[in-house]
Amino acid sequence: MDVLPLVLSLLYQFATSAAFFFLAALGLVVILGMMNIINLAHGELMMIGAYTATLTVHAGVPFWLSVILGFFVAAAFGAVLELLIVRRFYGRELGALVVTWGVSLVLGQGTLLFFGPFLPSIKIPGGSFSYGVFSFSDYWLILVLVSLLLILGLWWLYNRTLYGLQAKATMQNPEMARSLGVRTPRIYTLTFSLGAGLAGLSGALLAPTVTIAPFMGQQFVAPAFITVVVGGAANVIVGAVASSALLAAVKTPIGMAFGAFSGTVALLFAALIIIRIMPNGISAALQKYFIRRAGGAAR
Amino acid sequence: MRTIVGLISGGADIGRTRVFWIGFGVIILLFLLYPTQTSAFRVANVSFYLLNIPLGLGMALLWGYGGVLSFGHVAYFGIAGYVYGIVAGNMSENAFGPLAGVAAGLLASAFVAGIFGYFVFYARVQKWIIPILTLVLTLLLETFLGQTAGYQWRIGSVLLGGYNGMTGIPWFQLGGFVFEGYSFYYLCLFVVLACYFSLRMLVNSNFGQVIVAIREDELRTELLGYDIRARQWVVFVLSAVLAGLSGLLYVQWGNYITPSQVGLLQAALPVIWAAVGGTTSLLAVVISTFTLNWVTYTLSAQGNQYAMVIIGALLVVTMLFFPRGIVVMVAERLGRFRTRRTAPSQP
Repeated sequence: MDVLPLVLSLLYQFATSAAFFFLAALGLVVILGMMNIINLAHGELMMIGAYTATLTVHAGVPFWLSVILGFFVAAAFGAVLELLIVRRFYGRELGALVVTWGVSLVLGQGTLLFFGPFLPSIKIPGGSFSYGVFSFSDYWLILVLVSLLLILGLWWLYNRTLYGLQAKATMQNPEMARSLGVRTPRIYTLTFSLGAGLAGLSGALLAPTVTIAPFMGQQFVAPAFITVVVGGAANVIVGAVASSALLAAVKTPIGMAFGAFSGTVALLFAALIIIRIMPNGISAALQKYFIRRAGGAAR
Repeated sequence: MRTIVGLISGGADIGRTRVFWIGFGVIILLFLLYPTQTSAFRVANVSFYLLNIPLGLGMALLWGYGGVLSFGHVAYFGIAGYVYGIVAGNMSENAFGPLAGVAAGLLASAFVAGIFGYFVFYARVQKWIIPILTLVLTLLLETFLGQTAGYQWRIGSVLLGGYNGMTGIPWFQLGGFVFEGYSFYYLCLFVVLACYFSLRMLVNSNFGQVIVAIREDELRTELLGYDIRARQWVVFVLSAVLAGLSGLLYVQWGNYITPSQVGLLQAALPVIWAAVGGTTSLLAVVISTFTLNWVTYTLSAQGNQYAMVIIGALLVVTMLFFPRGIVVMVAERLGRFRTRRTAPSQP
């Protein structure tokens, strides 16, 4: 057997599972990093995105447009959720966790009652090609590309726009930001809505690869939360990227050798060991490392 | 004896007046007499509401008194249930097999919780990480148990059974005496009362006060010379054992268990019982656990599909409007009313 196809196949598996972790955790990390709130209704927001995409595709809308619709529908849901409920729980982390869990129960069960136990799924866009003995799916490569674009987009949003500046100011010191004229409640609503929208976008993007059912969000819950826990809250985008890569590097070889379930179990153990070593996640450890290096260079 | 009474009537739970204790005694008497007045079917239902109470008490201890939230206590419920099924099922000839199963089940729960607790408490992780990791653990357990269909997943003579679950789990028995039907009801009642009174003594003890101090201010408690990691670990393991106790009673009640008992929907329930009752009171959680089990069971027995929607909405409403729990807030209102009427001179 040739070595090159095998290496490429490993690389492909690594990249696609890193993209999966990143997409699953994306909406969650935006909300956690900016607002210090864990949104346990995350899986249900992804489900809303996936349902929007599926229903509109079946109605004849092109797939790319339905993905964008998934973003906006979930974002609207997120805005309503923030205004009605989440708003009252700022500064009460555990309260926010519990109340969003209640929301997720209502959304999941409500969808079951309203749409039934499943929807006909949509087929994966694009074909596949093979190289050596391995075959590769076009769509998963596109998802890897989309993940990279999303990272760039978020970087641009938080470093080059007025919203990004005001959001960072609100996160660092809400009182000071308010006294400088930033309308912090609106920033919170926008941020929660953005996070919800990104969850919906991920749900819509992943919709062709999974079964469309009311509790489909559950399968993203474990990977998304492990990614967030490992990444930490110091710098969530960097944390999410680094921990997606790291978790994919754990999961790919173990999953290949011992099967998918062992890969997932290995993830939990990896997460436990990593937080034992770095209690605040990778991003805090990286930050500390770079600050120390910068300090050393200055001296 | 005096210390026991002092510990039970200490200030860490609601209900300390003479009127309260008379009412408490009357209610226990009613529970004792209940089987004589009704059918075996109803008694079995009430046993089910009772057997969930230790799980709720574990949540109250961990979350309300300890300030640590776990979304995955059903994992320990399930571990104890499955281990009991394996051990007691394999020793079905032996009159003390179920007792060995109980011991093994509780040990297994404590063991898994001990390892898990070591990683999270000794790493001093941030508050929001523990609920998430516990949730992930229980989801993984469900996935694992779900794929155990088939004959390769046989332990001794017991099949794990995948999503069909484990069936034919033996009743609890002590020597020749089998607990089923009415005697099982009294067993549940005894376990619930024993758990409640020992926990009430625990939270009023020195240890309990340190636990509450850790909840209020970790750093200050540590600076006073207490090892907060060890104490949080002990509370976590203890609450896992309580969850395991409920799991044991559950499999002895229904003689079967399925992986969905450790799934996401079930995992939500103990949190809801504790939040609706009011996490800072053991008695409130006992009341809410019993009542909510009664309501959900009745609703779903009538084929009402909205049961989980109602329960989820109840959680949201409680968190929004009764942040300290419905039972606790009602009790406070009653208490204030009473003090105003009987002792107006007191501040």
